[in-house]
Amino acid sequence: MNPDVAYVWRQILNHVSLFFTAEARAHLEGDTVRFLSWDEAQRSTGSHLVIPIDIPASVDPESPYTVPFNGTELTLWNRLPRPSTPNWEPIPCETRPLWYRHRTGTLLPAWNLYGTLFGLLTFQEELRSSQRDGHGRFLASYSPRYRRGLLEVPAFNEAVAALVDACTALDTDAEPQLRLGPALRPPAIVLSHDCDVLYGNDLWTQGVRAYRVFQPLARARAPRLGQLWWMGRNAVTPRRYYFDNLTGMVDLERSFGYRSTFYALNGTGGRFGARNGTRGLDELAAMVPDGWDLGMHYNYDTFLNRDRFQAQLDQLKHFTSKDMVSGRAHYLRFDPERSLPFLESCGIEVDESAGYSDGLGYRCGIGGCFEAYDTTARTPRAIVEVPMVIMDTTLVIQYAEVAIATVRRMLTHLQHVGGALSVIFHPGVFHNPEFPEMLGIYHRILVECRRVGARALTARDLVNALQRN
Amino acid sequence: MENSALTVRFAAADEAAACNDLHNRLYQEERTIEQWRWEFVSTIFQHPQIPFSVVDDGGTIVGTQAFIPIRMINRDGVFWTAKSEETLLDPAYRGKRLLGQMYDCLFEYAAEHGLRYVWGFTPADKALRRVGFDIPTRTSQLIIPFYCRDLPVLLQRAGINKPAGVRDRIRLAGFKIGCVAARLASAARFARAERVTRRVSTSHALRLQVLEQPPEQSDALCRRFVSQWGGTTIFRDADYLRWRIFENPYVRPIMCAAYDGEELLGWAIYSMGDDGAGYLVDVLVVTEPNRPYTPEDVVRRLLVQAVRSIRNMGAIAIRGWHVNDHPFAELVMRVARSVGFHHVRRGQSVVVRAADPQATSMSQNFAEWYVTRIFMEGTVG
Repeated sequence: MNPDVAYVWRQILNHVSLFFTAEARAHLEGDTVRFLSWDEAQRSTGSHLVIPIDIPASVDPESPYTVPFNGTELTLWNRLPRPSTPNWEPIPCETRPLWYRHRTGTLLPAWNLYGTLFGLLTFQEELRSSQRDGHGRFLASYSPRYRRGLLEVPAFNEAVAALVDACTALDTDAEPQLRLGPALRPPAIVLSHDCDVLYGNDLWTQGVRAYRVFQPLARARAPRLGQLWWMGRNAVTPRRYYFDNLTGMVDLERSFGYRSTFYALNGTGGRFGARNGTRGLDELAAMVPDGWDLGMHYNYDTFLNRDRFQAQLDQLKHFTSKDMVSGRAHYLRFDPERSLPFLESCGIEVDESAGYSDGLGYRCGIGGCFEAYDTTARTPRAIVEVPMVIMDTTLVIQYAEVAIATVRRMLTHLQHVGGALSVIFHPGVFHNPEFPEMLGIYHRILVECRRVGARALTARDLVNALQRN
Repeated sequence: MENSALTVRFAAADEAAACNDLHNRLYQEERTIEQWRWEFVSTIFQHPQIPFSVVDDGGTIVGTQAFIPIRMINRDGVFWTAKSEETLLDPAYRGKRLLGQMYDCLFEYAAEHGLRYVWGFTPADKALRRVGFDIPTRTSQLIIPFYCRDLPVLLQRAGINKPAGVRDRIRLAGFKIGCVAARLASAARFARAERVTRRVSTSHALRLQVLEQPPEQSDALCRRFVSQWGGTTIFRDADYLRWRIFENPYVRPIMCAAYDGEELLGWAIYSMGDDGAGYLVDVLVVTEPNRPYTPEDVVRRLLVQAVRSIRNMGAIAIRGWHVNDHPFAELVMRVARSVGFHHVRRGQSVVVRAADPQATSMSQNFAEWYVTRIFMEGTVG
C-alpha cells in the first residue's frame, strides 16, 4: 500500500478502536475497504468500499453540503462526480450524496474522502499559507475552512462514522443505513489546564492590572479603579483564584468522575514567560492526584529551541520528580512542519498544541488524536497529536451567552459520530470574580459532558490506548 | 385496586422507561434510565419486586410513588426503613384519591417486608397527613453565602427575584443587604476557624483524606456513633456509601475522611449541585474520650475543609441541614456557626409513619434521629 494511504488508514483504524466497538473495527479490518485510483474505483464491482486516492484535494473547501446521518448531519466538501460507468446510484439522494452505490453492491464515497483527510492530518492548509500572527501562529481566521464556516466540523470523525456504517452494511449485503446503532461508544472529553499563573501577586500580573487602571485615561475615560481591589486582594492572598482553583478543579472533576491533565509552566520569566518561575511547582506536583496527569507547558522561548526546551524540561523534572511525556505550547506556538518532529526528539509522546488561539475549531479536522506524519520519510512519527478544540476565554468571547449551547451542540454531534473533544481551561479563569463572564462556565461544560454520557480521558490515556492496540 | 378505568399496581420490571418518562414530562428533565435504576432498584435490598407503585390508565403510567429501602441503626441494631420518593401524579388525575391508593400498596409491602418506618421530606403536608404520616418537624438550613453577585439564584429560591411592587423592592433590598452582611460575617468567622484549625492540626496526628472508595471501617463507625451519641440514623456501611456516594450517576459527592493514624474518626461528605450551590451532605464523627482532640476539633477541621473545597469549586454558597436536637446535630450546628454558617429556618416538612399503624406516635421517636442531607437520597448525595 502507498505509505501515505497506509498512514491515513492506520489513523482511521486507531480512531475506530478508541471510539467504536471491537465489532465495528472488525467490519473495517477485513478486505472490504480498497484504496484505488479513480479509474479503478469506477470500474469496481462487488461488495467492496472503494476509495479513490489520486484526486488532488483542494485546501479551500469546494461546495460544502450536508447529509443526514445517525441523528445529526455530516458536512462534506470536495464532492466527487458520479462515476461515468453505468449502474451507480447516489445514496441517500442525488443532490446530497454520501455514497455512490453500484448495483453489484460496491460503495464509493461521494466526496474526496482520502484527499481531504490526508490534507487535514498533515496541516496542508497551513503549509500552503504564509499568514502568521505576531507570535508566529496560524490563526483560525486564516483557515480556508473558517471562511466557509467549517472549522467546527470534525471531518475526520464524520468520515470514519460513515465508513463504519458502510462497512457494516457491506458485511451484511445491505445498503448503508446512515445510522450507527450500538457500534458507537460514548464520546470522550479530554480536559486539560495550562498552569500559567499559580499566584496572583507576581510582578507581571500585578503590572498588567496597574496598566488596566490607567489605560482608559488615554481615551479620556475614568480609570478602572476596580483593578486596585484585585491587586490588593492577591497581594494579601496570592493563591486565591489561582492555586486554590487547581484544587477546586480537581474536586469538581472528581465529582463528575472525570480526570484531566495539568500542564506546568516554568523556565524563563517575563510577560510571555513563566510569571511565577519555579514557585509552587513542587506543591502542584503533590496536589495532582493519582489518575490525573501532569505535563509540560513549553515556555514561550523554547519554541524550536532545543537547549532552552531541555533546560525547562530538566528543571520541571527536578521540581516535580515526574516523567514529562505530554505537553502543550504556551501561547499555542506551533509550527505545522517542525514542531512535532522537534517535540518527538525531545521525548514528548503526546502534544496538545494544535488548537486555535482565536476561535473554536478542529484544526486538523479531527476530534480525537492522530499520529504525526513524516511527509519526507513517509512514515508515522512516534508522537501523537490531540488537537485542542475549545479554549475557555475564546469560547466565551466568540459565543457569549450561547457558549454552553455551543458546547452542547458540539458534544451532541460527537455523540452521534464518535470522537473526543479537547477542552483547555486555565485555573486563573476557572473561578475568578476578576473575570465575571467566566464564572460557572467550566462547571456547566462538565454538566453538558455528563448529559451526553461523555467519558473523560487524558491525552496520555489516548496514547496508552493506542499503544495497547 | 381500581378507580373506574384506572389501575393502581406495582410497576413491572419492563416499565422503567414509562415510569421515568412521567418524571421527565412533569419536571421537564432528562433523567436517564440508568439514573432511574440507580435510584429505585437498590443493590442492597434485593427483592424481585421493587416498592414502586403506579397508576395505570389503559397502559399509560399517570402516577408514581416509590419507597427506597434504607437500613437504619440504633442501639438495638440495624433494621430496614423506607424513604418515600417519586410522588408524582399527572395534574389531570388529581382529586381522585390515587395517592392514597398508591401508598396503600406500598404500606402493605412495607409491613410484609419488615420496613419499620417510612419517612420523607415534602412541601405537601396536607396530602401526606391524609395518608397517615406524622409531621414531627421541618428541616432548617445551615448556609454560607460565598458570592453575592450570584444572588439571583438565591432570590429565585426565595421567590423575590422579580419584584412586583414597592413592598417587593424593599424585601429585595433587605435580602441583598442581608446577604452581603451574612457573607462578611461568614468570611470573618471562617478566617478565624481556619487559624484555629491550623493550630490544632499541628498539635496532634489528625489527618484528612479524600477517599476514592468507601471505607471498610464505616460499618463499625456507625455502630460506635449510635453507641456514643445515641438515637437512630442511616446505617452508612460500605455498601450504602458505595451505592449513594461513589456510584452516584449525577454528582459523585466528595468524601473527606478524618483519621488518627489508620483509625477512621469520621467524615464530611459534600458536593456541588448542577445549580452551582454546594451541599454539605453528611457529617459523622466518633472520638474516644482519652484523645488529645475533641469531637468539636474533628468536626471543625472537616467543616473547614468542606467549606474551602466547595468555595474553590466555584459554588455560590454551601448549604447543609439542621433538623432536630440530637446531641451530635447540636454539636455540628455549634461548630458550623463558629466556621461561618448561618442558621436559616426555612425548609421542608419531615414526614414519618410507622409501617404498623398501631405503633406509638412517630414524633417522639423522630426527635432521637440524627438527620443530615444524606437522608434526602437525592441527586447531590
